[in-house]
Amino acid sequence: MSRRHQLFAAVVSAAVLVLGGCGYEDTPVPTPIAEAKYTPGEVTDCNTDPATLLSEPADGTVDPGSTVDRIRREGVLRVGVSADTNLMAARNTQTNRIQGFDIEVVKAIGEAIFGDGFNLNTDVQLRVITAGDRIPLLGGPDAEGETRPAELDLVVRNFTINSCRKEQIAFSAVYYNATQQVLVRAEDADSYDGPESLAGKRVCAPNGSTSLINIEQQQPEAEIVPSVTHTGCLIKFQRDEVDAITGDDTVLAGLAAQDPYAVVPEQIPLNPEPYGVGLPLGDDEFVAFVNYALEQMVASNEWQRAYNTWLADELGAGSPPTAIDPTS
Amino acid sequence: MTQPVAAPPPPAPSAQPAPAQPAPPAKARKGFWPAPTGKPVGAGVEDTPSLLNRLQIIGMAAVLLFGLASGLVQFLSYQSDGRAADDTEQLLRIQEIRSSLLHADAVATNEFLIGGAGDPNLSTDYDESIEDLLKQITAASDAQPADEKALEALVVEISRYTTAVTEARVNSRQGNVLGNGYMSDASALARGNAKAILDNLVEANTERAEDSMGGQHPFWLLLIGVVAAAVLVWISILLASRFRRYVNVGIGVATIIVVVTTLVASVAAWRGASQNDDLLDKELQNAVDQSAARVAGNDAKAYESLRLILQGSGPTYEPLWEDAAAIVEERASRTVLDEWNAYADGHRQIVELDDRDRWFDAKRIAIDTGDEAPTASFDNFDEVSQQVADDNGEITTDELRAGRTLALIGSLLTLVLGFVAAVAVARGLGARRREYA
Repeated sequence: MSRRHQLFAAVVSAAVLVLGGCGYEDTPVPTPIAEAKYTPGEVTDCNTDPATLLSEPADGTVDPGSTVDRIRREGVLRVGVSADTNLMAARNTQTNRIQGFDIEVVKAIGEAIFGDGFNLNTDVQLRVITAGDRIPLLGGPDAEGETRPAELDLVVRNFTINSCRKEQIAFSAVYYNATQQVLVRAEDADSYDGPESLAGKRVCAPNGSTSLINIEQQQPEAEIVPSVTHTGCLIKFQRDEVDAITGDDTVLAGLAAQDPYAVVPEQIPLNPEPYGVGLPLGDDEFVAFVNYALEQMVASNEWQRAYNTWLADELGAGSPPTAIDPTS
Repeated sequence: MTQPVAAPPPPAPSAQPAPAQPAPPAKARKGFWPAPTGKPVGAGVEDTPSLLNRLQIIGMAAVLLFGLASGLVQFLSYQSDGRAADDTEQLLRIQEIRSSLLHADAVATNEFLIGGAGDPNLSTDYDESIEDLLKQITAASDAQPADEKALEALVVEISRYTTAVTEARVNSRQGNVLGNGYMSDASALARGNAKAILDNLVEANTERAEDSMGGQHPFWLLLIGVVAAAVLVWISILLASRFRRYVNVGIGVATIIVVVTTLVASVAAWRGASQNDDLLDKELQNAVDQSAARVAGNDAKAYESLRLILQGSGPTYEPLWEDAAAIVEERASRTVLDEWNAYADGHRQIVELDDRDRWFDAKRIAIDTGDEAPTASFDNFDEVSQQVADDNGEITTDELRAGRTLALIGSLLTLVLGFVAAVAVARGLGARRREYA
């Protein structure tokens, strides 16, 4: 075959192949979706000064027409709680009941309102809410600044009292002195010596939380890894994507209780996070009654029993805050 | 075979050499055609044998090229229909992979919602869904090498998904609320990178199937035929003017072959294109719509379970459920809408109870396996949706493959007829050459 014929044959073959569409372009593989970037939360001048933490003096008097009187008449106390904060308020997957230290606080308030015949299952409506719902459901402003009538009587959901929130809703006296701490791997527990040990380490907390701002300020060399929730942080921890988690000691205790290789070592707290019961603004009588219920909880030793049941294993010995201790 | 001529041979004297003094040109009479003589007009003025040779080359080349080009176009259509059937099968396979993944997630989240040791039947359903999913991925990878890399990436994502589901189950059995986190993380994985990969696969295969279905070219067949016929007509006119014969039988036969072949091939191609358009608009679209509805339905069922697993997350998941439900209502076949509506009614009951903090009652309805329960209606919707998608997909691929044999025979026949026409042209020109000689 001459060169011209060979060339012709080659051209025809190529044309047939091209026209026949024998080859397809590879289906593109998309770039993996990037993890959410760290977006520092807004730095505010909110504080937890002693003056901010002052509450109404405890008073168990119930006047006709008061909130407690209404709750008794209606036969139901509406409380906003968490259902996934282990040890504080989480649903037991075996019994389907929500239980934890915060639920013990709800019980104590319920007993003070309804008396001896109190039954948590029938007298309390536990409404599972998110952290973002805490203030709006008590009649405070939501993220857009809109307000609507309060739908709940109380919120007991690891709720830190600070000066900014106190302008939006009312708080009881401090019922638990939580602090921001750090959770590390069991093998790093002995060598952990505060924020300086976190230099070069990957530290996780919910994106936009004040916990991350505190870590960033105290250890700029730490690598900040954000997550949506603390549970998300523990998943990252178990997948070896982070070395440490920071947050309230109660939350970290709940995480450590689910992972034998995670511990909250003894440490100097990074920040105070005093917990209070949230109430609608302007009902001082009800605030005083809740403080009375909290004092009763301490006086009857129920507070200590609840702490020992839920938190002592992970956080060590603890005692009631002086604000609700009638003996202090 | 001898070449027939249009008229008896002319008298011998006309073949004699031209006289020294050419006769004055006959005066053309209006409305009068000179009698055919078989002798070239103005013979001796031009080189007639060369002209005949040239016309023969042109005529034969025209019909041979016609046979080749028209046959090739028909062969490409044959190939194209085959590819369209394969691409359609691949598209439906990818859609099934997508719906199987979300079905697995709907089952996994519903089983997780039960809590404790879960439900062995749902566990089996989940395991079988994942097994089917992996088999479908292997089949899809074998069927379309261009999808191989994307499917490899998908397998990695599915592996991450199943690992997260396993971690969720283990944590749930141990009573850890962390299981909720793993379960929602798993669901997010099924809708994150995996969804992006599947979207690309669906888009690429839809484009391939549509392109392949557009592989019928009646216009090109018509154009090729018209050009070839025009060349033959031009040769006929030239011959008629040279030899004073109206018709050259050889050229005439070749022209008839070209015209008839072109008409038959064009009509067949037009019908093929029309049928492909119908399949694209009806059966294939039905299959794709039903698959999309099944995907959205399973999405919705998983969101319903997640809102109950992550208690208090109704405001997050309900808008997602509503979006998915809107897709089902828009794209699902009417045959499955009754089942869907029965499930959706149950879902609204669940939402109402959950919003009124009656979580236990809401959960009871969501995990009820009774025949009248919303989950049973959902399962029927899911099953019938897959059946509708499968049936329509099968009709599409069967129809595409049914017309292929005819297209292949047509392409080969056209090639042969091109040769036959070339022989006819050669004979037709040969007759004139003999007459001239």
